[in-house]
Amino acid sequence: MKALGKGSIASLLKVGLLIAEIVFWICLGVLALAAVGYSAVLGLVLSGTIEIDFPLDGPWENLMWQLALPAFIVGAFWLGGAIVIVRRLRRLFESFTSGEPFKRENANHLRVIWMTMLAMELAKIAFAGIVITLIAIYGMPADPDHDVNLNMSSDGFDLMPWFSILVLIVLAEVFREGARLREEQELTI
Amino acid sequence: MAIRVTLDRILLDRRMSLTDLSEKVGVTLANLSILKTGKAKAIRFSTLNALCRVLDCQPGELLTYEPSEDDALEEAADQAAE
Repeated sequence: MKALGKGSIASLLKVGLLIAEIVFWICLGVLALAAVGYSAVLGLVLSGTIEIDFPLDGPWENLMWQLALPAFIVGAFWLGGAIVIVRRLRRLFESFTSGEPFKRENANHLRVIWMTMLAMELAKIAFAGIVITLIAIYGMPADPDHDVNLNMSSDGFDLMPWFSILVLIVLAEVFREGARLREEQELTI
Repeated sequence: MAIRVTLDRILLDRRMSLTDLSEKVGVTLANLSILKTGKAKAIRFSTLNALCRVLDCQPGELLTYEPSEDDALEEAADQAAE
């Protein structure tokens, strides 16, 4: 498969990134609508305007506001970060396909990407902390007929995203130095 | 940068235009203009060789070292960054 041109890896990735950006925007829109809807229903329930009686098992457990509200916020943050990353990757690809990869802007794109990834990883940790804090302060709805089990265990600390961030930090510096050498070479008579 | 290119003075002495020099040396007018205005970062020996041959001068006549306070500050900043 060719590296550049029609039908190449670069063109496939370009289309893939465009589709990914559209999908993320749609998801963000759906999340925003869900958050507004959930907040409206919660407000009505808390004010006593409506009464909703549903069993606290299965998927209904996750509708508890201590989980749902932080999930909406962190979800929006995560999707926003994903959109930022995809947009920066698209701009990187445009410069690669134009034959000038070593530009100062590309080092900045990579820097923004690793910073966004770092923020997203920290948001995941913050999400767990916020949920635990909210549950500790407000507790969970009591139901004498049903024990609500909240399983917050994970499979262990995943180092892969952190390694990816380190790789991107190094790549950003490589591109910065590459841009500097290219500028110097352009001004070499 | 403290290195100054005295192309203007030598062209005047030789009564030669930048365009003529560009054709004889084989360097584009744009690049010679970069050299003349002091924006160049580096010069190849091959280019220096061609310039000295065409202008019939020594490299020392073409290039001079004139440090200023700004250059000293710039170099100190570069060394600190390294």
